[in-house]
Amino acid sequence: VSGVRVGRRIELTVDADSAAAARAVVERLAGDLFSNPLIEQASVEGPA
Amino acid sequence: VTVRIGVVIFPGSNRDIDAVNAVEVAGGEAVRLWHEQASLDGVDAVILPGGFAYGDYLRAGVIARFSPVMRGVSAFAADGGHVLGICNGFQVLAEAGLVPGVLMRNRGLRFVAREVHVRPERLDTPFTRAIGARRPLRLPVAHGEGCWYADSATAEQVERDGQVLFRYAHEDGTVAGGEEDRANPNGSLRAVAGVSNAAGNVAGLMPHPETAVEGVLGSDDGLGIIRSLVESARERVSRGRPALVGAR
Repeated sequence: VSGVRVGRRIELTVDADSAAAARAVVERLAGDLFSNPLIEQASVEGPA
Repeated sequence: VTVRIGVVIFPGSNRDIDAVNAVEVAGGEAVRLWHEQASLDGVDAVILPGGFAYGDYLRAGVIARFSPVMRGVSAFAADGGHVLGICNGFQVLAEAGLVPGVLMRNRGLRFVAREVHVRPERLDTPFTRAIGARRPLRLPVAHGEGCWYADSATAEQVERDGQVLFRYAHEDGTVAGGEEDRANPNGSLRAVAGVSNAAGNVAGLMPHPETAVEGVLGSDDGLGIIRSLVESARERVSRGRPALVGAR
């Protein structure tokens, strides 16, 4: 076994007017708070 | 002239009293700044002390970065004020983007609490001017996330522009190697123990100069660093205290 990576999964419930608005909130949180872009990558999954 | 040095207190700060003591030993007046205040009460320099701000659960320093007091600190730094982040304070400054790089989990994966030697790389900065001779300083470290890292372009630029203020070293002053070298307690890239921003008025370092300012503490090798900050702040005062900066 090699190349093991451990990640973090955070599930959020967001109150927003649209799925796009909710996604925008989560993407901002993912980039500014939940991850440090210097060392981490964040991706957002959710309602399109 | 009394020089007023702000010591920020976050919930979870635990070296704030040491910072207050160090400022007083160095001849300054310490002013405690609570994390909820965006105003810095007109202080002449700021120390962000060690500890575990807001618990550091998500990532060291990240929550503190968004605190009201950091708005004041950012405005103060943008105005040329001197800001020194020690240990957790360094992590907060890095998360805020006020100093380059990031502090990752120690390469050895363990919390490290012991004395190390650091070599000052610059003796002409606001944070090192009172150190005097270029000799290794014996200072304690106590951290789990102190491995300084930056991408190669940033690391090159930081070196080129003389922003590396301290490196982990052996007792004889030779720079420490990588994680396999015990002299480098956390595996920091290029053995970096302290860096400044490009403008040179904001600096972070992982070792604790504030707990090494009197012989009774085991070492007074850190006093030169704290004294440098007080001197730099005094110079800023002598040029005239600027109007209060920081959002209310």
